[in-house]
Amino acid sequence: METSVGSSPSASSQSIDTIISGFEHLGYVTDRSLATAIYLVTQLRKPLLVEGHAGLGKTEVAKVLAGFLGARLIRLQCYEGLDVSSAVYEWNYQKQLLAIKIQEPSKQTVEEKEKHIFSREFLLERPLLQSILVEDASPVLLIDEIDRADEAFEAFLLELLSDFQVTIPELGTVHAKHVPYVILTSNRSRELGDALKRRCLYQWIDYPDLDKEMRIVRTRLPGIEQQLARQVVQFVQFVRRLPLSKPAGIAETLDCARALMALGKHRLDPEAVEETLSCVSKSVEDSAKIRSAGLERILSSPTGP
Amino acid sequence: MQGSNGFAEGSDDAAGTIVAFCRYAREQGLAGGVQVTLAVLRAAVCLGMADRETLRFGLRAVMCSTKDEWGLFGEIFETFWDPVESKRSQRVLRRKQSRAIDDSDPNRSTQMSGAVGESQAEDRGRQDVAGASERERLRKADFSALRQDDLAVLETIALRLLRQMSARLSRRHRMTISRGRLDLRRTIHHSISRGGDPIDLRYHKRKPRPNRLVILLDISGSMSPYSLFLVRFVYALQKHFKQVNTFLFSTDLVEITHLLRASRLPEALRSLSQLATGWSGGTRIGGSLSEFNKLHARKLRRADTVFLILSDGWDTGEPEMLAAELAAVKHRVHKLIWLNPLLGLADYQPITRGMSAALPHVDVFAPAHNLESLMALERHL
Repeated sequence: METSVGSSPSASSQSIDTIISGFEHLGYVTDRSLATAIYLVTQLRKPLLVEGHAGLGKTEVAKVLAGFLGARLIRLQCYEGLDVSSAVYEWNYQKQLLAIKIQEPSKQTVEEKEKHIFSREFLLERPLLQSILVEDASPVLLIDEIDRADEAFEAFLLELLSDFQVTIPELGTVHAKHVPYVILTSNRSRELGDALKRRCLYQWIDYPDLDKEMRIVRTRLPGIEQQLARQVVQFVQFVRRLPLSKPAGIAETLDCARALMALGKHRLDPEAVEETLSCVSKSVEDSAKIRSAGLERILSSPTGP
Repeated sequence: MQGSNGFAEGSDDAAGTIVAFCRYAREQGLAGGVQVTLAVLRAAVCLGMADRETLRFGLRAVMCSTKDEWGLFGEIFETFWDPVESKRSQRVLRRKQSRAIDDSDPNRSTQMSGAVGESQAEDRGRQDVAGASERERLRKADFSALRQDDLAVLETIALRLLRQMSARLSRRHRMTISRGRLDLRRTIHHSISRGGDPIDLRYHKRKPRPNRLVILLDISGSMSPYSLFLVRFVYALQKHFKQVNTFLFSTDLVEITHLLRASRLPEALRSLSQLATGWSGGTRIGGSLSEFNKLHARKLRRADTVFLILSDGWDTGEPEMLAAELAAVKHRVHKLIWLNPLLGLADYQPITRGMSAALPHVDVFAPAHNLESLMALERHL
């Protein structure tokens, strides 16, 4: 953090506006809250933890940020049982075994042989190590669905995120030349540890309101007719208020709109709803709830659809 | 830190305000420490103080780390920065004061804290003399028929048994570890000295994976002879198992995981009884489950979650709803266990409407009226 950074408040305001318009240019509609957080990520170099329901574009934040910065995106998808060998690095054993065989007749000492087969040539770089080894500029590191990894991995990650260095016993310690921009996403399937949360900036992404969702649909599907877009968004916003087991995210709105366009529909009527219901509802029970929720009233009301 | 914090000359005021705000936010319940305050200062330097909205968004990103805090932040920020809003803060203050008065009301905390605490010291002597037969009697005694002075003794026995039980469970985890995947890395390391022939094979140890436990405890009026003890049982479970989420329900559902985790048993019981007073006596098992499904279903994983309901099955809601919600839970968990204290009665038949609607979805239906029956739970965990 340098003194020059905060020289004028309007500079920050401008940068935030640049982020908003830059993201929108890349097809991602964002609000000032998220843009401010992104700005702080670039200034404070702290990781950003993004939480929210499924299908609201959490992962997309990192992808668009990479596009915006012109940086490389490195992605680590977390899952239960994720360990260091699939997240950081692994030795290429098959190649090592072959090398040992090939070297057999040579006059090298055991130490020389060992040094050879444990060199960079035999190292498989996994996402976290990749993000540290990047030579030219800071990459964007996306750690997706961190809540799925177990606590042990979370603790390891904490260490990595504070030092940005990895120790490989056979090679020594590698420091990051360019500290990555880190975005973590979580679906809150479990609470993350306090230590990790404290280290991160935080952003909660909620369901968008009507206006924002309209802007998203129009940005992502430029070819959509105004009336159809409005109907789809109002329909999904209505469905979202029903007590469904899997509430529809923005991804579902876009799917539904795309499906209607593919079917050549110009307006959303009960028949069209039936045909595209599978985009919005992901279980039999949910479909039944939507059907019995008085759709006709919504679809035929004069104000909207 | 003043010199290097990046504020322009003479803006000590600004830094002071930020620090004051951090302190205020901490008082209002946001987590925070020196590290957070420093991060907030740095963020404020980046953002400048002029644009209130930008500052609000920025500080929210820095200071919050959960959805709950995210929700709280707006009001905290406004009450601090906008004097117009001070009315609201006064209201908060008043609410706080009235809560403080509640705290001091001794009658409130008696419901659940029962015999722990004051009688503990003198009981220590008695518990040593409690012979084997006495322990045996207590293990089989129905909780509802226990005398107050038995309770403390029973509790120490229970804690010891639970400790043993969790130790056994973790040992069982270790013993079932068979040989895992081949550890090529270590195998190769060892093979170098033999000219590269992998003679000794090395294996990965498989990581033990304890089950997740989700507990729903009924504290309605009909359960009151048992809930006193079951809460302690749940407390002990939560202390000894790593991944436990605990909920109380009667007409409403409330998560108490953090309460049980944060405090020692007497304090936990006291805060629980405060939480629970004022709840009406009826039971809405179906409604509570529905609420659970809506808000917490993501905590369930089919692979390894054990779902434990402690209830007598007296439901004032519709049995159809109970059955449907239970079926939804069943879909998402590994095992659904219903412990019913009434099952300990010799002539009890599970024919109440709620209970008979629930039974088809339950994997294990077992009694929970005495210590022995609770210990039998080990088999299912």
